[in-house]
Amino acid sequence: MLKIIGLKTSFGETEILRGIDLELDERESIALVGESGAGKTTLGLSIMGLVSGSVSGEILFNGRNLLKISEDDFRNLRGKELAMVFQNTEDALDPVCRIDDQIAEAILVHHGQSRKNIKAAVLKLLMSVGLNENKALAYPHQLSGGERQRVLIAMALANDPDVLILDEPTASLDALTKADILKLFRSVINCRISLVITHDISMARALTQKMAVLYAGRIVEIGRTEEMVTNPRHPYTRGLIRSYPGMTTTRDLQGIPGRMAQGLDGCPFHERCTQAIEICNCLVPQLREIDERLIACHRGGIVPLLEIRNLGMSFDSCSVLRGVSLTLFEGETLALVGESGSGKTTLSKIIMGLFEQDSGEILLEGQNVNKRDASFYRRVQMIFQNPKESVSHRMNVLDTVMEPLNVQKMGSKEERQRAAKEALRHVELSNDSDFLKKYPHQLSGGEVQRVAIARALALSPKLLIADEPTSALDPSVQAKILKLLMNLQEKMGLAILFVTHDIALARKVSDRMAVMLKGQIVETGATNEVLSHPQHPYTRRLVECAAAASLGMETGESQEESMAANNFKIKAEDFIIGKRPILKIEDY
Amino acid sequence: MHINPMRELFFDPLARIGLVMLAAIFLMAAFAPLLCANSPDDYTGQIFMRPSSGHLLGTDSMGQDIWSRLLYGARTSLAVAVAVAVLSASLSVFIGATSALMGGLYETFWMRVVDALTSIPTIIVMILVAAYLRPSLMLLILLLSAFFWPGGARIVRSQSLSLIERMHISAALTFGSGRRQILANHILPDLSPIVFAMMIQDARRAVFMEAGLAFLGVSDPTMISWGKMMHQALAFTYLDVWQWWLLPTGLALSLTLMGLSFIGFSLETAMNPRLKGNLLRREG
Repeated sequence: MLKIIGLKTSFGETEILRGIDLELDERESIALVGESGAGKTTLGLSIMGLVSGSVSGEILFNGRNLLKISEDDFRNLRGKELAMVFQNTEDALDPVCRIDDQIAEAILVHHGQSRKNIKAAVLKLLMSVGLNENKALAYPHQLSGGERQRVLIAMALANDPDVLILDEPTASLDALTKADILKLFRSVINCRISLVITHDISMARALTQKMAVLYAGRIVEIGRTEEMVTNPRHPYTRGLIRSYPGMTTTRDLQGIPGRMAQGLDGCPFHERCTQAIEICNCLVPQLREIDERLIACHRGGIVPLLEIRNLGMSFDSCSVLRGVSLTLFEGETLALVGESGSGKTTLSKIIMGLFEQDSGEILLEGQNVNKRDASFYRRVQMIFQNPKESVSHRMNVLDTVMEPLNVQKMGSKEERQRAAKEALRHVELSNDSDFLKKYPHQLSGGEVQRVAIARALALSPKLLIADEPTSALDPSVQAKILKLLMNLQEKMGLAILFVTHDIALARKVSDRMAVMLKGQIVETGATNEVLSHPQHPYTRRLVECAAAASLGMETGESQEESMAANNFKIKAEDFIIGKRPILKIEDY
Repeated sequence: MHINPMRELFFDPLARIGLVMLAAIFLMAAFAPLLCANSPDDYTGQIFMRPSSGHLLGTDSMGQDIWSRLLYGARTSLAVAVAVAVLSASLSVFIGATSALMGGLYETFWMRVVDALTSIPTIIVMILVAAYLRPSLMLLILLLSAFFWPGGARIVRSQSLSLIERMHISAALTFGSGRRQILANHILPDLSPIVFAMMIQDARRAVFMEAGLAFLGVSDPTMISWGKMMHQALAFTYLDVWQWWLLPTGLALSLTLMGLSFIGFSLETAMNPRLKGNLLRREG
C-alpha cells in the first residue's frame, strides 16, 4: 500500500505541493484532477522520486519511507515496483532506438536475463498492449500517437509494478484511439495501486474508484469518483465539473472566475470562492470527513442556502402546495418545472413572503425564516414574470433600480446612484443620463426586464428567484439575459431558483431540476439525469413533449392527456372538402 | 399603459376651453385692484347708476360699484374652491389610502363614517350650523370639506385596493418596503391623476355650494359673494339694473363652473379609455 503524509515539494522558493495526505490500499485506483499548475504531475513525480526540487514529508510504500532510502535502493524500485506513463508521448521515447530495445531496456535494468528470453517477453508485452509484433522493430517516429502511447504503457508494465502512475495518458488522442486505450488501461490498472492524473473527468469516471481534487498544492476534496462527479461538494470541484464538457452535460459550460494564485494565506481557493467567509483568508482548512467525503473547507463544502421543508399551502379548500421540500445550494441553479397551475409561482411567492404558508418551514442559511425583515430581502430577491407589470410605470430607470437601495437605506445618495449604475452595467444597459431618465413605456420589453433584473441585483443578493424571467421576451433577448444570469452566477456565486415551464430552457441553465405536479415535487435530481432517465411518468411525459415539440413531431397518445384535449375533440369529418370548414366542438 | 392626464389636457379642445375660462376668472381675481378704480366696499352715494366710465357696471341698490364687487367676488369663489379642494382631497387620500393599506377595524370604522356622512343632506346641515355658529369663510370651507371628503375617500380606497394587487407593489415588498414606503413611492404617484380629477370636482361643487348658500343668505354678511349679489339683484328685476347687475354676475359664476366642469370631464375621459371618442377628437 501507498501512504503519503504531509508531502511538501518545492522548487527553490516556490512551493508546489503544500502538504498532501493520501492513502491508497492494494488495488485501489485514484484520479488526481485539478487545473494545470495544481501540482498533479509534481505529485506523481515526487512519488517516483524524480523531482529536482526539495521534498519533505513521508511517502510510505509497503512500510518504507521512499524519501529516506538511498538513491540506489530507489533505482531498484523505480520501474520495477513504481512505474509511470509519461504525459508527452513525443518526448518519452528515444527517437534513435527501436521499440523492442527500449522495452527490453526496462526489463534488463532490473533482471539480468538472456537476450533471447527478453525478446519473447517484449513481444508478449507488445501483444498485451495490443500491438503487432512487426511494430517491435519500428522506430518511434514510424508509430502513430496511439501506438506510441501503447509502447509507453508496455514499458511501464514491463516489470509488473505495484504502483502505476498515468500522467494525462490520453490528452493527445482522438476519441476512437482514446476508447481503445481506455479499455487497455482498465485491464492494466485492475490489480495494482494506480494514480490517474488527468483533467478528463469522464476518463476519471471510467477508470477510477476514488477521486482527489488538487488545488494549489493541496487536496481539497476526496471521495468516490461517481459521487464526486454527480454531486461535487467542494466549490472548486463543482467549478471543475461545470467547466468540463461531457456528452450528457446539458448546461452551458461555465468556468471558474479568477486565476489560481500560489502561496495565499488561508484557504488556497478563497479568492475565487463565492462563499468565502472571514476565516477562509487566514486559516488553511484541513481535510475532514463530512458525510463519507473528505473535504477541506471551513464551511463544510457547498452550503445549502435555502431549505424548504414540508411546505403546505391552500387557498380556501383548494390545496396548492402539499409537502414541498427543496434544498438550494450556494451558487447553483435549481430549475423548478411543471405545467401552469402546479404551484410554482405560489411557492416562489411564499419564499418571498408575499403569501403565507399553512404548514412547513423555510430556512435561509440554516436559520428559520419567520419574520422577513430588511436583512432577509437583502439576501433574497425575485424577478417577476412580467416586466411591464413589475416595474412601476411612474418611475424612471434610475429610480427603479435605486428603489431597493433606498428602501434598504444603503449608504449615501451618491453611493446608491453608483450602485444602481453598476447594476445597470451588469445587465449590459447603458447608464448615461438620457437612459437613466427614461420611463418603462419608452423601453422595449427586453430592456424593461433587464432593468427589473438590475433592480433585483442592486442589493447583491445571494439568492435570486426568477419566475419565468424570460417568458415575455424574444429568443435573442432571452438568450442574452440567461447568459447574463449565468455570468453573474459565475462571478458572484448567485444561487438561482429558476421557475419555468420550458424544459428546453431549464435544461440549458440548471444544475439540478425539480419537477412539480399538482403542488407536489415528484422528482428531483441533476438536470442531465432527470432528463435522460426520468423516473416519474409525469416527468417522462414532460420530457417527451418538450423533445417532440423541438423536433416538430406529434406526441403519442398518452393516458395523461391534457384536459383540453380530453374535453373537446374535433371530429375530422366535420371538415368537408369543398364546403366552408366548420369547427364543431363536441363536449365529451 | 402610461397615461399622463395632465398632458392630455392640453390636447383636448374641451379642456382648452375650460382652461381659458378658468384663466379669465383667475386673472380677474388676481388683478382685481388694478382692474377697477373703486373699492368694492365704498359707497358712492348714488344708487342704480347706469354703466359709465367711472363705474363700468354702474352701482347697486347700496350705491356700491358692481364691477369691483364682481372682481372681488371671484376672489371669494376661487379661495373657497382651492381651499375646499385641497382640504377635502387631502382627507380623502389620507383616509382612503390608509384604510386600504391597514384594513381591519380601522378600515371598517372609516368606511362606516363615510357611509354616514354621504347620507346626510348638506344644505340642511349648513343652514342648521349657521343658526348656531356665526357663518364665516373659514367655517364654510371646513364644513364643505367635511361633506366632500367621503366620496373621494371611497374612490381612493377602491383604487388603492386594486393598486395593492399590482405586481410592482409586490416587487416593492420584496425589497423590504414598509407600508409608509409603499404609500409614498407607489400608491400616491399612481393616485395622482385621480386625485387631481377629484380636486377639480370638489372645487366645482365648492364654488356652486358657496354661491348657493350665499344666495340663500347662509353666509358671512360682510363677505363679497356672487351668490349674494345675485340674490340682491333678483329683488330689483323690475328695473333695468338686472342687465348690468344680475347678468354679469350669473355669467361669471357660469364661466367658473363650466371651466371646472370641462376640465373635469376631459380628465375623466383621459383616464377612462372607454369614454374616449375617436382618436381624431383627441389629436385635434
